[in-house]
Amino acid sequence: MKAPSPLIALACLALASTFAQQPPLAKDPGPFLPPSDFPEDKVPKLVAGPAPHLSDGRPDFGGDGAWYPGFNGNVAETKWKGVKSADQHVDVPFLPWTLKTYNERVENLSKDDPEAKCLPVGVPRFMFDPYPFQMIQTRNQVLFVFEGDNYLWRIVTIDPKGTHPKNLKPTWLGDSVGHYEGDTLVVDVIGFNGLAWLDQAGHATSDKLHLIERYTRTDSITLKYEVTIDDPQAYSKPWTTYNTVHWRPGMELMESICQEDEKSSIHMIGNTKK
Amino acid sequence: MKCFILFALAVISAQAQAPDLGGDGVWLPRPMPDLAPNPKFQKNHTTNKSDPVARCLPPGVPRIMLMARPFEIVQTPNRIVFVYEGGAHVWRQVWMDGRPHPKDPNPNWLGHSIGHWDGATLVVDSIGFNEQTWLDDAGHPHTEQLHVIERFTRTGPLAMKYEVSIDDPGAYTQPWTSSSSFSFRAGEKLAEDICLDKISR
Repeated sequence: MKAPSPLIALACLALASTFAQQPPLAKDPGPFLPPSDFPEDKVPKLVAGPAPHLSDGRPDFGGDGAWYPGFNGNVAETKWKGVKSADQHVDVPFLPWTLKTYNERVENLSKDDPEAKCLPVGVPRFMFDPYPFQMIQTRNQVLFVFEGDNYLWRIVTIDPKGTHPKNLKPTWLGDSVGHYEGDTLVVDVIGFNGLAWLDQAGHATSDKLHLIERYTRTDSITLKYEVTIDDPQAYSKPWTTYNTVHWRPGMELMESICQEDEKSSIHMIGNTKK
Repeated sequence: MKCFILFALAVISAQAQAPDLGGDGVWLPRPMPDLAPNPKFQKNHTTNKSDPVARCLPPGVPRIMLMARPFEIVQTPNRIVFVYEGGAHVWRQVWMDGRPHPKDPNPNWLGHSIGHWDGATLVVDSIGFNEQTWLDDAGHPHTEQLHVIERFTRTGPLAMKYEVSIDDPGAYTQPWTSSSSFSFRAGEKLAEDICLDKISR
């Protein structure tokens, strides 16, 4: 018997890889709110001015108002559960376990979502979650204050050398070190506990998660958010997603304490229709 | 006379520029479980089981300033933000822009706070609390009529004096005061401590 020609071997390989293809992505479970109730079309029409700057030339991410990310249930889809999601679709380079986990979470309607149990949503989900936030800049820090979850805060240390402390304790929000690149705040985040979801849909993370976030106020009412997700234990290569966050003038943050009377999450059963 | 001039200069400079309560570091409160050693204001016999902090709810004011956990003060001209490591990873804001309290505030865990400078002292006036928080670890209760006035005075680079007055006609026959102090830990940062990680659900 002759050895198979290289061409046939290649064809066999292609055929085998077709059979070994990953299962398809779980489908959007459909609108969870009557679309007419969602205030997307009630967003006030604002006139954009130039992006403000602080007296020393750094971009100014503050002012009299708050940033509102909108309901972005899926960091990799433009539309999710009937409303706008990420700015563009991403073919997420899942590893087999993250694809399996993602599909399970979509199919059981995110019943194990840490946010439903009042745990911190983590980064980057803060920028894809329907709660307003503010950014307060000082000389050596950017303080994020959030209305949602449990009325949380997050501190980004400004350090152009970008050094993280050694032996970080794993946390929900990670350790954030930032610097300014022109009009962009660039934040490097490591030190995660691997428990947070990237979004409500359920993109998983590991404790090897490394994020590079880029915040740019492109005009007075628009914050462009870009995040690169580098997690070799969860995804086969780094991938990037985007969200446009809108300014709500005059908006103040309310105190929202999720943990107050939280009795619902243990009753969540997911999807019973199979 | 020399002394008077120095004093006058200090007052003028305090008015010209607000004292800096922040800096590169954190404040650590002196642990103070009981606000009222005076028997006149003895605590109720509350059990720890009903302690909202044990259920990871926000500690409220002034208790959040008395727990032995570090906090940071982030100071801007319009607003002073307190950021707390302990409690429930919450923050608290004090409006410095001259606004009044809302007429009918929604009762909440941290209240509505407005502040002003009295010389070198930050005076914070807070109302709008719910009835669920405790004033201290000991368990002094209060009603929605609670009105708290706090005075923060940085007495040195590493020291802050904290005075608090409790006025709650629904709970106490007269206003009463207590005091504590904070020490500054230069170069230290707040850690992330998520209370819910530690209680079983």
